[in-house]
Amino acid sequence: MKLMNYEDSHFSDQQLLRDLEGELSTHDEKLFRAHLDLCWKCRARRQELENAIADFVRVYEREFHTKLPPVDDPRALLRTQLAQLSTTAANRSSSWFAFPRRFGWALAVATCGLMALGFFLAGVRRQSQSRSHVLVSVPDSRLTPGAALLASRQAVCAEPNTRNKVVPVALQRKVFEEYGIAGAEPRAYEVDYLVTPALGGADDIHNLWPHSYSATVWNAQVKDALEDRLREMVCGGNLDLTEAQREIAENWIAAYKKYFHTDRPLPE
Amino acid sequence: MSSALTGSTALRVLGATSTTDLGDGRLRLEEEVVALFDQFRDPLLRYLSSFGHALPDAEEVIQEVFLALFQHLDRGKSRDNLRGWLFRVAHNLALKRRYRTLRDLEARAEASADGAIDPSPSPEDQLVNSQTQKRLLAVVQALPQQDRRCLSLRAEGLCYREIAEILDMSLGAVSLSLARSLARIARSAER
Repeated sequence: MKLMNYEDSHFSDQQLLRDLEGELSTHDEKLFRAHLDLCWKCRARRQELENAIADFVRVYEREFHTKLPPVDDPRALLRTQLAQLSTTAANRSSSWFAFPRRFGWALAVATCGLMALGFFLAGVRRQSQSRSHVLVSVPDSRLTPGAALLASRQAVCAEPNTRNKVVPVALQRKVFEEYGIAGAEPRAYEVDYLVTPALGGADDIHNLWPHSYSATVWNAQVKDALEDRLREMVCGGNLDLTEAQREIAENWIAAYKKYFHTDRPLPE
Repeated sequence: MSSALTGSTALRVLGATSTTDLGDGRLRLEEEVVALFDQFRDPLLRYLSSFGHALPDAEEVIQEVFLALFQHLDRGKSRDNLRGWLFRVAHNLALKRRYRTLRDLEARAEASADGAIDPSPSPEDQLVNSQTQKRLLAVVQALPQQDRRCLSLRAEGLCYREIAEILDMSLGAVSLSLARSLARIARSAER
């Protein structure tokens, strides 16, 4: 920093600001003080810059501090996605003998994570709606990996009733507890089968998850359409039952896109 | 399904990975990342929204940032200055979405022109709408984008060196940018 004569010139805004911010070296600070002691003009300008900082902070706080949505839903979404990432990482580092199936699972989980971001958007955009529940739009793969009965295609297809059974309230509560939403309002969720019983899915907690009714795009009706399509294919001999179960368990949204040849749900 | 099928107890769990498979390390790391999320989500959200990202987009970017953080730490990479790392990654990811953001801004500008913005401002908004605040806000919004970013990062408590790293600028450029912006704000306050 150049030492300035009072008569000649004054410090620039940049230098004054660096002093205000404590960004001057010790040496420069001494020179600065010597000048400032004499120079009212520099002191006044320094004060103006300080006032400008205060003005900006006020505007910044009023514009951006008061409008933030609560952190609960984003935190819940992050937890779900981290769990999926952990699963992926664990699978990557485990036995190579299981490579083909586990690799497929990891890919599906990663895709699922991306899907979840899309779901979250829909959730945030409806901020006016109730925030009393956590948005759960995709199952946590550690809690809900999917579970199927050891039943043959013939046995599954022989069942005339393809409607899902109502999950007992006690089991619903257990699912809520597992997902850390024990106090949840039951009406905010459908405790849904990941692999539908119409495809041999089991009445087991590994196969149940709280599908939030707040999910507006990839919702339960869309999943129902996929389940109907897969059952038709399985029972028509066009798709292996085990493959259908695996695909819907890994990533039902990806399965929908694959079997409906679309990137978004088709209108009913 | 009838009881003949669903009554069976023989079942197989599909693609399961138990908690013990994951190891305590990853679970601890998950908790650490969530704790950092609680600490930095709001500052990051303010920073991203302060230069035009719609809140849903900003939230989406922040989710990506913390998933990247998890992977960064899981690979044993540096833990030095994680705050700076978070802002830098958020900034870079946000830039990638710039095109989309610009479209959002255009849409919002159109909505504004159509008078589609909420016609009944909240009490807080009414306060902000005071003449001085409006003038200051207009001045801030008219600043070049890089200058606004410098101001926002500084308002979030980052030092010049951190801002320089995040925005890939020299220290002198950061200092010049801040001084220039504050001078404009000071001029507007004189009026």
